[in-house]
Amino acid sequence: MTNRRTSTFKKARTHLQLWQVVLIALFIFYMLLPIFSTYIFSIATRWDRTILPEGITSEFYQEATKASYFSSSLRNSLILSLSTILVSLVIIIPTVYWVNVRLPQAKSILDILMILPFGIPTVVLALALVQVYNGTPLGRTPQLLIGAVFIYSMPFMYRPVSNAMRSIDALTLTEAGQSLGASTLQVMIQVIIPNIFSGIISGSLLVFATVFAEFTLTKLILGARFKTFPLLLVEYTRINGNIAAAFSVISFTIAWLISLLILWIGKKGQGSSTQAPTAH
Amino acid sequence: MAYLELRNIHKSFGNVTAVNNFNLDIEKGKLVSFLGPSGCGKTTTLRMIAGFEQPDEGTIRLGNQDITVISPNQRDIGMVFQAYALFPNMNVRQNIAFGLKMKKTPKAEIEKRVDEVLEMVRLKDTAKRFPHQLSGGQQQRIALARALAVRPRVLLLDEPLSALDAEVRVALRGEIRRIQSDLAITTVYVTHDQEEALSISDQVVVMNNGIIQQVGTPEEIYRSPATRFVATFIGTANQFFGNVAGECKVQSNGLTITTRKLSDFSSGQKVVVLVRPELIIVSNAQPDTNSGNTIPGMVETITFHGAVTRLGVHVNQQRVVADITMTSSGYISLNQKVWLSFKPDACKVMAVDE
Repeated sequence: MTNRRTSTFKKARTHLQLWQVVLIALFIFYMLLPIFSTYIFSIATRWDRTILPEGITSEFYQEATKASYFSSSLRNSLILSLSTILVSLVIIIPTVYWVNVRLPQAKSILDILMILPFGIPTVVLALALVQVYNGTPLGRTPQLLIGAVFIYSMPFMYRPVSNAMRSIDALTLTEAGQSLGASTLQVMIQVIIPNIFSGIISGSLLVFATVFAEFTLTKLILGARFKTFPLLLVEYTRINGNIAAAFSVISFTIAWLISLLILWIGKKGQGSSTQAPTAH
Repeated sequence: MAYLELRNIHKSFGNVTAVNNFNLDIEKGKLVSFLGPSGCGKTTTLRMIAGFEQPDEGTIRLGNQDITVISPNQRDIGMVFQAYALFPNMNVRQNIAFGLKMKKTPKAEIEKRVDEVLEMVRLKDTAKRFPHQLSGGQQQRIALARALAVRPRVLLLDEPLSALDAEVRVALRGEIRRIQSDLAITTVYVTHDQEEALSISDQVVVMNNGIIQQVGTPEEIYRSPATRFVATFIGTANQFFGNVAGECKVQSNGLTITTRKLSDFSSGQKVVVLVRPELIIVSNAQPDTNSGNTIPGMVETITFHGAVTRLGVHVNQQRVVADITMTSSGYISLNQKVWLSFKPDACKVMAVDE
């Protein structure tokens, strides 16, 4: 399978036309340029009179890490994204499972519901939630923010989990488990979840990436009371561009590291359970 | 008292009646097949025994216990599915051990039982493999082993061979029957394949449109079908529609068919005469002895089936099929005139409701 795929890929590559190579190169350049420039800008001493920076320094990184909210905002961002992942997992997986096995009629309704967060502007979502919950114990708390970013990031967890669930015969597997004496919960934990693990991992990655970089909802619901990393970054764009660039690079790096960690957990979780049949 | 009893079972899905007034007693240790075309309610009935569907009416009793409303995981009933339904994330050993683990069986006992059932399905060397590394036939044998490991009170098989190749199908059905008789486990086997049902069952339940058509041994089902549906669904039967025209005569499209005594029918009643193709003798000259029915016809089709050759013979506005053996097939060619003869005993007469 893999062999065949690589060989067709190689074959396709030998037939690439010059204009295709140029187009792809331009695309890659276009995508990488901002990241690369941000990185250079974060270590450049002075870069306004020359094409390349006049010198290199680690000064901005030192200043960035010394910023008063550096570690607390980083911690807040991590808490926010990881708890959102947890909430999504606990709510989305059983829902998708239940709908697939017991209420297949509701699948299309759920599919449409899960597109809605894309249709609602985040500003509207934030203001609506603040209006509704103001005055209740939940008003303007980090818990409300978790709820808000959960709604906002819901499709990113739902899609991969739902696709993975559709690729297995969840109903028959459930019935097989039940006939062997397992309860629905036991079937879900021991049979269903291991078989949709790849979907859960992709969902978690997408939710993490979305929430870790989330700005609007945090700003509008909690403002300065709960400073997350993106908030700090935006603050510094007004103070010092180089330090803001350093923050961006740190943010990329952390997001990458966490993504790798989630992927590693995914690989480990699949180690005992070869996923070949559900992978394609 | 039978071991597994189904009483007055009704089940509808919306306006569609899936199972209608189903009554059946299954003796302990027997293999009973539910046979019928798709949509006849056989799978629905099986799923009600398993507990995956609830009957709208009626009761199901197993070993003197009412199990109608008991949830599937409490019933002690093993099930094998058409799609194998092995857990892809577990290897063969873990799959088989799953049910025992749910029952909190001690570890050593689990090991022993897994080895035992693996031995039974003759797949000992696959214990460490994952389902996707096995062929369809092997997967289904593991699924059977998994269902048997927990020593269920009843084994349910839902079209277990339908997804397999013809050769594997025949081998595996023999295997299923061997294991079933060795363990003397009460088994319900759902299939749409009559050959399968006839070859492995103690009893066959023929169903159509949610109604039991006949319950009997495979021989009874084949030799004395209770309804026209059974006669035509099991094997092939030539049908001559007509009216009763005498003590043992039926008039059909200008043919007069001599049958056994028609004491159950009134004169002029609409009936159908059913004749199995293998009970028709084909000759290329008019037979001298007229000890029954002899009808002339023209050979229209010749289909070679291996052991027998099936002829389609045009007789008096209708097509009659007759099976002949290899030895006699050499004498018959297309468009040839032949004489079909069958004894009155070969005729099964049934009333036709308007």
